[in-house]
Amino acid sequence: MKAKILIVDDEEKFVNSLAERLSIRDYDATTSVSGQDAIEKVSGYNFDVVMLDVVMPGMDGLEVLREIKRIKPLTEVIMLTALPNVEIGVEAMKRGALDYILKPCEIEELISKIDRGHARKTEQEERISAAEVSGRCYNGV
Amino acid sequence: MFGLRQAIKKIFWGKKQKSPNPEESPDDAIRSRFKTKYWNFKSFLSINSAILEIMSEMELALRGDHRFGMEFIRAHCTSISVSIYQLIEKINEISGRRYEKLYYALADIQYKINQILEEREKSIEGKPVLSIKEINKDSANHTGSKMANLGEIVNLTDLNVPHGFVITASAYHLFLNHGDLQKNINQQLQSVDIEDIKMLGMASSNIQKLIMQSPIHPELEGAILDGYRRLEEKTEKDVKVSMRSSALGEDSQESSFAGQYHTELNVSYNTLIHSYKKVLAGKYSLQAITYRFNKGFRDEDIVMCVGCMAMVEAVSSGVMYSKDPGDIHNNQIFINAVLGLGKSAVEGSISPDLFVASREPTIKILKKEIHVKDQGILTFSNKELHTVELPEPEKYAPAITDIQAQFLAKQAVILENHFKTPQDIEWAIEKEGLVRILQSRPLKQVRKEDNEFKDTLAIKVNNHTILNGGVAASPGVACGPAFIVNSAEEIYKFPEGAVLVTKNSLPQWTTILNRAVAVVTDRGGIAGHLATVTREFGIPALFDTLAATDRIKNGTIITVDTYARKVYEGKAEALLRESPAGGISRIKGSPVYITLKRTLKHITPLNLTDPKGDDFTPDGCQTYHDITRFCHEKAVKEMFDSGKNSRGISAGKRLIINDVPAQWWIVDLGDGLKGSMEKDTVRLANIASAPMMALWEGMTAVEWDGPPPVDTRGFISIMVESTMNRDLCASSQSSYTQNDCAIISKNFCNLSCRFGYHYSVVQTFVSDKSGENYIKFYFKGGAADHNRKFRRMKLIKDILVKYDFQVEIYEDYMNATIAAYDQFSTLKRLKALGYLTMHTRQLDMIMGNPAKTAYYKKKFLKDISLWFPQAGE
Repeated sequence: MKAKILIVDDEEKFVNSLAERLSIRDYDATTSVSGQDAIEKVSGYNFDVVMLDVVMPGMDGLEVLREIKRIKPLTEVIMLTALPNVEIGVEAMKRGALDYILKPCEIEELISKIDRGHARKTEQEERISAAEVSGRCYNGV
Repeated sequence: MFGLRQAIKKIFWGKKQKSPNPEESPDDAIRSRFKTKYWNFKSFLSINSAILEIMSEMELALRGDHRFGMEFIRAHCTSISVSIYQLIEKINEISGRRYEKLYYALADIQYKINQILEEREKSIEGKPVLSIKEINKDSANHTGSKMANLGEIVNLTDLNVPHGFVITASAYHLFLNHGDLQKNINQQLQSVDIEDIKMLGMASSNIQKLIMQSPIHPELEGAILDGYRRLEEKTEKDVKVSMRSSALGEDSQESSFAGQYHTELNVSYNTLIHSYKKVLAGKYSLQAITYRFNKGFRDEDIVMCVGCMAMVEAVSSGVMYSKDPGDIHNNQIFINAVLGLGKSAVEGSISPDLFVASREPTIKILKKEIHVKDQGILTFSNKELHTVELPEPEKYAPAITDIQAQFLAKQAVILENHFKTPQDIEWAIEKEGLVRILQSRPLKQVRKEDNEFKDTLAIKVNNHTILNGGVAASPGVACGPAFIVNSAEEIYKFPEGAVLVTKNSLPQWTTILNRAVAVVTDRGGIAGHLATVTREFGIPALFDTLAATDRIKNGTIITVDTYARKVYEGKAEALLRESPAGGISRIKGSPVYITLKRTLKHITPLNLTDPKGDDFTPDGCQTYHDITRFCHEKAVKEMFDSGKNSRGISAGKRLIINDVPAQWWIVDLGDGLKGSMEKDTVRLANIASAPMMALWEGMTAVEWDGPPPVDTRGFISIMVESTMNRDLCASSQSSYTQNDCAIISKNFCNLSCRFGYHYSVVQTFVSDKSGENYIKFYFKGGAADHNRKFRRMKLIKDILVKYDFQVEIYEDYMNATIAAYDQFSTLKRLKALGYLTMHTRQLDMIMGNPAKTAYYKKKFLKDISLWFPQAGE
């Protein structure tokens, strides 16, 4: 199945060009230019992977990350940023990011991380649905 | 987050334990668990090798052969920290969260690295504006050394310096911290690939715009205007000033920053603030950013102070050196002079007159080179800048008289004596003949050893001479395609490794110097900024050839020889052979280099070398390398132990050899099998696991020729014995303890064998990434008495050690490991291991006989050497 991707970055040109490049490669890519908007989109749709910028006006990437993980724990979030910062990088990982990638970055590298995130999410969803089935059986439902 | 993952995991394992699926056996559960563990392990290994790769890139940078900036260090530190976090996650996933303490070790190291990366110059206390009278040499870290030196000259010598004031380092901080300016600048810089000159050009212009549009702190504005008012009182009303950078860290012998920054002339009260911003913005000109990068300066190392000095109505001006910049042993004084303002002398658009003076016993003019002044002269009079053309006869007169040259030379000596080091001095002479010192800084001299004058004229060069003459601004011989640059736009097109050919020796060409192998110009003298920087960068430069852009064709290969002052067509091989390679490593010892070195102290040293040592714990991890080493050891052990425990797995496919089912079970982890096969059986041809095949090859390469085996069954019969044991099939409980099992993937093999009373496990991972490769071998038992067992283990150990394994023997078992060998070498060692497990199993009976033992040791070594044709490998 096509991976459903949300790209969040306050730089409109960037999100559009990345979305286009992903669409060409047959990904279902949506864009968002603010943290607030991204959270609304995430709560309304089951994205597989969110590509999230760190430095944005208003809500910054780390806050958005925390919120996404709260409302959609299984959605994988990859930080994609121009900010090389050790503290922020590790903090993002602690908050559940799958990876922290520095711009500029090769599209191939990005794709392989997106695929990894997508695979991981699918796998976890399968485990949970299997667990639900087994739970029902076990409980005699 | 951990909570969630754990919950999911619980659900997951919970399901397996109380499986509702009647077809799913406990075997499947074990296999599935091992499979999950293995895939975790595999991604562990790839994170592990990513970390080692980042480390080696950083260590490579430390060799100093290539330029790198703070962004390189920040990005690598960030990536490695994130990867270490992922590694710790993985080892905890593999081990059932047994090593959560590692997060503390990471936090500790990460904090230390961050401290180094984020440390900023402490905001400097002090007045934002100081009069030149208030400062001296010791004020340098508040005013920049350029202005501090001028203050020193004003206050401690009899020489004349224009009146003026300095806008200090604290003013700079006040300006940058007003609003989000500094933050916005950092953001612009962070996303730029510094080698991509187009991108850099964009960032440079964005940042300069940001600075120009940024509002000035009212307190700072007041102080600057006040400084100007006080200057008016000392000079005259509406005095015009020049504004030039006096950056902290700007002037030193190693790094001149010559001409890298912006100077504003003829500034009035109304344009003061605008001009101040313009000078600050000059910190981010394309050439200044590249210069800093090339010299290994961090952005925060440069604090722009700005000197404001009353304009001088100069009749003539220029630059002088109190010693020969091209020869550390030459005491002669070099004076470059132009008519009007000195701007054109340092900017290289005019070839200045050169006067060389002796210093001892008396100052005497030894040599003069006077140029035709056929270009407009920039002057300042009546508070305005003018460009004037000289009438014909005056064009041939020298810019200064001999007496003025002698007087200047005297001042150069005074300054050198005062500052106790050779000086590079900017001067101006006013109408009444008064000499003003505009700047004095340490002179960068080329060491004679580096600049050993090559008698290249003695070398026979067959190439056609294109140019002959000019001045050697920087010594050396170099060859490359000529690239003629006429305009600033062409900077972007300048190819790596080309010879820069251009009309004027402008400072803006310094942007290209990191890509140019040599520079040839029509005009410009050795005192220009471009000349200074070519010397600093060790790039041969031949200036003032008058005809370079006419005679050299764009794109043709040329060889530049500054010793002979010649440019040849093509590659002058003989010449290049005789001349040392140019280019000096500029990065070593620079602030950026030192920062890298400091961060690496927390990253690459390996303290945890002994897995049995007391400090081999999460607490003992002092560096990222320690964490990586610790995790790797534990991850391999986890897998190994699981492999040992899962030898009972019969859920795999049975191996068929020569159409006969063997007592071997193959468990595929995902990509270990290939081709079509039956549901429950597999043939050798199906096995896609390179390490498994290597082991197999070792086991079967040489037939057993020893004493009759104890059980009298033949060599292959042992592996095929299952034909006689039909009860040992998958459904039988007895199979859980008896059969041998290989858990395989393409790159992985965990093989547990039980032959008679011997039990051995080989676990290995082999891929083309050497950093991930390892072999772990465990051997136990034998039915013989203790002495025989020990002798056999000793025999195996002796052989394994010869092939670089690390071997330890305990009571009745041994462990051998080897890691990080390349694919080929690892596979060879697997063959040797396969051979040994097969051939040592029947040795108990001969272990009592030393002669026989020696015989077999020799034979084994000989057989194994089959895979190691080169002795000592």
